[in-house]
Formats: sequence, C-alpha cells, structure tokens
Amino acid sequence: MNRNPFRETTFRDGAVRTGRPGAILPWIFGVLALGWVVWSTPAPAAERNGRSPLEASLVTVEVTFKEYDLSQPWNKPTRSVRKHALVTGERELLTTAQNFGDRTLVRVQKGGRGRWFNAEVQWLDYHANVAVLTVGDDGFWRDLKPVALAASVPRRSEYDIVRWRDGNLEQRRAEFSKFTVREGSLTFAPRIVLELNTEISGLGWAEPVTVDGQVVGLTMSKGGNVCSVVPTPFLRRILEARREGRFGGLGYFDFLWQPGENPATLANLKLEGEPRGAIVLDIPKQAPAGYGIQRRDVILEVAGFPIDMQGDYDDPEYGHVMLEGLATRDRFAGDTVPMKVLREGKVIDIQYTLPKAEYRVDLLPLHVFDQEPEYLVAGGLVFQPLTQGYLRSWGDDWRRQAPFRLVYFASQAPTPERPSMVVLGQVLPDPINVGYQEYRHLVVDKVNDRKVATLADLKAALKEPRDGVHRIEYLKGDSLQRMLLDAGALEEANRRVLQRYGIPQAEVIAGASANSAN
Amino acid sequence: MLGLACSLVAGTPERSVIQIFNFSQQPVWDAPWRWQPVRREGGSGFVVTTNRGRRVMTNAHVVSWGRQILVRRFQDPRPFQAEVEFIGHDCDLAVLKLQDEAFFEGIDSLEFGDLPEVRSTVVTYGYPAGGEQISYTRGVVSRVEMQTYVHIGNRALLAVQTDAAINPGNSGGPVIQEDKVVGVSFQGVRGLENAGFFIPPEVIRHFVKDIEDGTYHGFPQAGIRVLPLQNPAYRRYLGLPESGGQGARIDGLGEVPTTKELLRPDDVLLEAGGLAVASDGTVLYRGNRVAAGLGFQLSQHGERVPVKVLRDRKEISIDLPVFVFEADRPAGSQYDRAPRYYVYGGMVFTPLCQDYLRTLGRDLGDSASADLVYELFYLRAEKPEAVRPEPVVFAGLLNHAVNANFTARGRALVDRINGVKIERLDDVIRAIEGGTGAQHLIELAGKAGFECLDRAEAAAANAMILQTYGVSKDRRL
Repeated sequence: MNRNPFRETTFRDGAVRTGRPGAILPWIFGVLALGWVVWSTPAPAAERNGRSPLEASLVTVEVTFKEYDLSQPWNKPTRSVRKHALVTGERELLTTAQNFGDRTLVRVQKGGRGRWFNAEVQWLDYHANVAVLTVGDDGFWRDLKPVALAASVPRRSEYDIVRWRDGNLEQRRAEFSKFTVREGSLTFAPRIVLELNTEISGLGWAEPVTVDGQVVGLTMSKGGNVCSVVPTPFLRRILEARREGRFGGLGYFDFLWQPGENPATLANLKLEGEPRGAIVLDIPKQAPAGYGIQRRDVILEVAGFPIDMQGDYDDPEYGHVMLEGLATRDRFAGDTVPMKVLREGKVIDIQYTLPKAEYRVDLLPLHVFDQEPEYLVAGGLVFQPLTQGYLRSWGDDWRRQAPFRLVYFASQAPTPERPSMVVLGQVLPDPINVGYQEYRHLVVDKVNDRKVATLADLKAALKEPRDGVHRIEYLKGDSLQRMLLDAGALEEANRRVLQRYGIPQAEVIAGASANSAN
Repeated sequence: MLGLACSLVAGTPERSVIQIFNFSQQPVWDAPWRWQPVRREGGSGFVVTTNRGRRVMTNAHVVSWGRQILVRRFQDPRPFQAEVEFIGHDCDLAVLKLQDEAFFEGIDSLEFGDLPEVRSTVVTYGYPAGGEQISYTRGVVSRVEMQTYVHIGNRALLAVQTDAAINPGNSGGPVIQEDKVVGVSFQGVRGLENAGFFIPPEVIRHFVKDIEDGTYHGFPQAGIRVLPLQNPAYRRYLGLPESGGQGARIDGLGEVPTTKELLRPDDVLLEAGGLAVASDGTVLYRGNRVAAGLGFQLSQHGERVPVKVLRDRKEISIDLPVFVFEADRPAGSQYDRAPRYYVYGGMVFTPLCQDYLRTLGRDLGDSASADLVYELFYLRAEKPEAVRPEPVVFAGLLNHAVNANFTARGRALVDRINGVKIERLDDVIRAIEGGTGAQHLIELAGKAGFECLDRAEAAAANAMILQTYGVSKDRRL
C-alpha cells in the first residue's frame, strides 16, 4: 500500500460534505431549527455586547450554477447555494472556489440580512480552491472593512468558526485535530489542510476560522466530526503570487511512491543506515525528457527537507506531514524542486519540475467546469466523454454502483493511444437503432476504422462511412462489439430524434462551434 | 400399517426419493491451510440406474465439500453412508455410490421422461426444511429458458421454471410427471416468489451419458458470442432480408483455437446443432424459445456440432468441434479441491479465484481490489494475450520480525519475484527457491508496490512462522 494519494484518494469531494446544506430551502430551515437550540443555551453564540470585528468583513454569497445531469446532458437545471466570503482588500472578496463552476449568477449580502448585490468573479482557481469576487455597486462596500489573513496559524487547542446565521453572527468553538497533507475539495493535488473536530453541522461553506482575533483559514468540507480548513498561509501565498503574476497553477508530484519502512527493501536498493526516504514505484508513462526521477529511486530529501521512513517531512509550521506538501508549500506549477535521491547506491541531485494540476491529466477527468457537458447524438446513439462526473451520476457510492469496468478505467492512466474515452451513454429509441436500444455504458474503440478518444474524433469519423454504413466498434470485452448504422438514413433520423426527445442540438463539442440539427 | 400399505402401491415414486445429509467443510480461502467449521446440510436425491449400477442422483451443491454423506430411505430410520462417484459442478448434478448395496433393496429406480410442456403439471418430491418427512408440491411448468446455474455461477444451461415450491432441502429431489423424472429441483431466485427452477431431462441425460466412460467432462461451449441481428441496416449489410426473422450475429470469438479458425466475427449464425437460429439469438426448442447456446450444449465434449452460417452472403456448413472450456474456472465457484498455496517468510501466496475475492467482502469495491477483479473477470475478454494461466495473489501476511516492516499487507496480485514473471503458483516457489541475492524481491501488480525479504533471515524464520500460525505444511500444490 502506498500512501501517495494522487490517484487513490482523489474522489472525495461531495462525499465529504454531509447532507446537502447548500440548497437554499433546507438551509434556511436548518438555520431556524438550529437557531432555537443555540439561543436557548447561553454560552456559544456570538458575543452579544461587543460586536465581532468580522461583522464588517464577513459577507454571505449566493451562487447559482448549472448542475448538469449527465444522463441527459442537454438539460441545464440550476441550483443555488449560500456560502461565505471575506473582505480582504480594496473591493475584494475572498472565498473558496467550490460551487463557482458553471455559475450563472453570484450575489452577495452584508450583515447577514438585507439587500443582495450582484457580484462577479474576478479570478478563481479550482485546484487551489480560491475565488476572488468583486462588486460594482459602491453602496455595497460602505461600512465594510478588509480583514487581514494570518501569515501563520498559531497552534491552539481550540479555534473559532464564524458564520452568519439568520442575520446574526455565530461564533462557536472547534477543537484542533491535526495538520495534514491531502487532496483539496476540487482537486487530486495534495496540499496542507487543517482538520478541526466539531459537532457544528452544515460547515464547509467557506466559514472563516479564527484564533486570537485573526482569520487563520476557511472551511472547505465536513465529514463526520472532522471539519477541513484551508489555512490562510496557503491562501496568502496564492493571492500574492497571483498579484505578482507568478501563479502558474498548483503543482503536484506525479510519481507514485511507497514509504521506505522495510529495511530489506532499502538494503536491496543499497541504502545504508537507518530506514528513511520514499521509494519511487512508478513514474508517468508519458514522463517528459529530463524528468529526473526514476523507478526505484529512494527520495531522501525534497527542497532541503529530509524525508523520513513514513514519507513525511518536518514542516516548521505544520509538523510532520507527507512529502507531497512540499509541492505546494512555497512553489507552484512550473517551479523546480531540488531533490536528493539514492540510485544504485549513489546520492544524486535532481531538479524536479512541478507539473500543473489539471483535470485533463486523468484518463477520466475529475471535473469539467465552465463548459456545457459534451455529447453527440447520432441516430439516437448518445455519445459522451467518459468522466468521473459521468460515474458520479450513480450517486455517492458510485465506486460500487457504477459498472465495474468504467470504475476501473477511473484508476487507469491515459496513454498516447487513449488519452481520453468516449462512452455510449444511452440509446434514444428510433427506427434507425432498432436492435441496439438496450445497450449503454459501452466504451467506443473505433468508428469507421478510426480510433476514437474524443467526440471530435467521433465526429470526424462519422464523415467517412463505408458501404453505406457507419461501423461503431466498442472496446473488447464489452457486452457488444459492433453496431452498424445506416449512413444514408442518419441525417433524417437525427432530425427525428432531436424533435421527438426535445433535444435542442445534435451535439455540443468543446472547442467547436456547436451545430444545430438542421 | 396404513402408511406402509400405501407406499407399496405401484406408481408411488416417493419410495425412490432419498434424504441426504452432508457434513461439509469448506476451506478458508485467504488462509488456505485452515478449514471452516463443519456444516450439516440437508438435501434430496433419488435412485437411478447408471451403466455402473444403481446410484443416488442429487445436486452437486448438496454434496459439495462433503466430509461425510449420509442417506436415508423413505420412512426408514437407518442412515447409510454414501460417497460421490461423479460430480458435475457446471450442471449441478452428482451421483452417489452406496457402500452397502442393501440400501437399494425394495426400491425401484426412477426413469427419465421428456422435457415437460409449459402449462403442464409437475410434482416435486423432496425433504425441504421445515419438517422431517417427505414433502410434495404440485405446480405448473411456467417457462423453459437458459438460466445461470448459481452453483458454479458462470455457466448458463437449460432450466425449467415452475410455481411448485422449491425450498432449501428440496435440492436434488425429483420433479415427477406421469411417474417419470422430468427434472431435478435445484434453485430459486431471491426476490422472485412462487418461482422454483429444476434441471430438465436434456441436462440430466447429458450428464448421465458423459459419465458412461468413467470420467465427467462437462458441457462444451462453442466459444462464440451470439447477439441478436435485428437492426435493418446491419441485416442488409450482411445480406439478410430486413424484415426476416432468421439469423443471429456472431459478435465475438473466445479463446477456442478451432472456433477461431472456423468462424469469424459477423458470420450470421443460421443453424446450430440442427436448430434454426432466429434474429433475436434464440432457437425454437420443443416449443420454447431459448438462447442459441443450447444448440452447442446438447453435444458432448469433443463432438462436432453442425453449424450453418452466412458469410459474404453465402451459406456455409461447418462441423464445429466443441470442447469444455476450463480456462475460466477460477472465475466461477470452486469445489472439492482444497486451495493451492505456498507460505514463505510469512507471505501467503494462493491462486486468484472467485472464492478468494469473496473473502474481501465489502472491500471488494475498493480500488486496491479492482486490479484483482479486473484480472479475474475482464482481462480475458479485453487482452487475452496478457492473461496469466493461474494468477497468484499475495493473500496475507503472517506477522513476524522478518516482514514486520512491510508496507504491503496482502490482497495484491503478484507480478514478479526475483525477476521471474509469476504466471502460476509453481513460479512463486521456483523464484523463491532459486533466489540467490541477499534479498527476495517481490513485485506486486498495479499500484501495490514491492517488498523485499532478507533471504537468510526468512529462510531461518520459516519453520517458526509455520509453527506459530499452525500451518502444518508450507505448501499445498
């Protein structure tokens, strides 16, 4: 078992947030119900006399976004959630990037009540989970004061979590649990996370975490009693780098490693002395020239920090955390990280260049944001890119519920021949597809003898029928290998299918102007 | 007295129905030197005459993993000892031999009838749970179809559905129509009420004929995937009338060399075993539409099945040899053969099979187990060239100082040991025993990593590890 989470544990978003407190109606009811409990007990509510300094800095954000249903990718249902943002500078609001994907409207409200102002996103980065908003209306900024983000997180046994509840500021205690390095809410790239233990429900909506009157983090999720918090030093570095134009995206280590705990293994790799280091198991199949790291290297030092036998380093701020933290601690994508590795008994200095965390590096992308779901309807056959979003349509337990083979592909690396996958999502019944109507979730291999990895490939291949038919071949091992479609009747069938099933257009393909049916 | 008198009247098959008790013991698949607690299971059977004499026929699942099998006659309190003579796990049938031939005195052998017609009435005889005495239930034949035989799990044969109650303990009992056996009760479907299934005479006769030479081979397969051919464009393309009802499409070929030589994908299957194949992939058999695979199953291992296909718009007749396909046995349930294993340095190695995977329980859904599932169930279809004849799992670790610092704790496929690719369990032993370096290097497949064992320390620790964990032998091959 390796402890590297870069492929194994990238699927936690959604699963970690309890319930769905973001939906507006339940959220309001939740506030009312909880409000009774809070007010009937004297201690933990917000200070009633002296106003909290955050009252003038913490605002409510309402985000409306398209929550696509990938079983009918042409539908565009929307959902709204409410979360928090902090005034952090001149006409600048800071919050997490969660729920800003596919947004249609962003509004903000100050003081926990009253008028809503339209806001716009100035900048966001999903992997870093940071969003910067602004508001055009001068009236909004009146009486608001920027708050400073703490440059370090003081260690305390308890921290406060602050949020607007029914027009009043609520401030409640949460216990310190630990600092850890793990994937963020929207990314597979690991970073530093503060974990607090609390029974406060409905957290994870960018509520500020404070200690000694300083803001030290924003919440990003809650699972069980564990509330995960993005610490402010991490946010500050990203905001600074962005202001200075040197934020190249979040970096990560794209090699797989296991801890150097087994002395026999280390002896085999010719490491002398105490067990230590991280043993490289695998590097990307498409590693660039000069990648530096090789399989079976023992990583002894990263960015000047010795790596211990668990694969941890001793962070001056956060204590012992996984070496992955060094990919984001004070570097971004494109930066180099000096490493010392043991190879064939010799210590070698390496400069490792941090790759950028992007969704497309996965065979099945974790998320596809700010783009209408792609699909192509041909003769009632609905083709879609195979993504983790497609698998999540089986619900939180999709790893067990979705077809095994599709789930298996989610753990596989892309190859030059197959950088991505196209799946037959469903068949909309029509005379042209009689005989195929019960098939679905088949991965396309070739169409008209051309390899298909994207809908653009598929579209191009559909221009070349032979012998009057389109030949669609699925991956070996699927429940059906081939379908033929009447090429001459396809256009007419497409018209019929779109009309009958109320589908606005025959295809949505990213990077291409969408063609309508006619 | 009255009961005895009744039972002596001719045409009372219950005298030939046997109660069976099986004291069975199954292995622990992830600690293969151990056995699970002994279980007592009840079932039914009936007396038949084979070419070797009189026997008791029952289901394979009634007598599997048997340590002791006891049988009792109708209204006779005495237990008799029986042993399995032949067992067909694919068709869930077995015949038992009695140590004491006196058991058969006064009992007639039952004779086999023909496949009962749907809507006709049948009576099941057996010893189901809920009482000690024989039980009869009457029902109608609901339908005849190919069904998965759950005892093995990965084979489908002809089966008959009835609304006669078939409950645990009924298994192996005869289904009677006009004093003849027209089926052997064998399974139900969870969630389906008033539906029991029995094995039809076709399958029973196949089994009886198969064992005539003293060896059970099993049901052969053609190694083809037949799919409906109903899309008008596809029919036209392959030279069939669009609206015609005949001909199904060969979508894919399995790993059977003679089949790959004689048939091609997109051949249209017109006839299989003398039965006309329809466009929905079925044949009409005695008034029942059943999957075309039936056309191949009625033959014995090694026999040739007459097949008619349409290829390049020409009809071709082929005599297709069919064989029992054994290569996917690990993907079905395992029986009667204790699992093979090898323990070294506390590492437990055993062949990957479905029963091993079941020990993972809910963890089976984890991504770490996905490699095992894929290897066992999907790799053969997707990349037949990459299939290992007997994939080996590192099933678990018997903790000892030599392995205490392992990161891997088991549940992983073994890829290489000391550079030797592990294709079967014997390779593990060869690689370990042939190791000459200071450490044994064990590489696991997928993302499970690799581990080393200090060779001298492991060799010295082996005996102690086996003794500590009660492993009487380091291997079972």
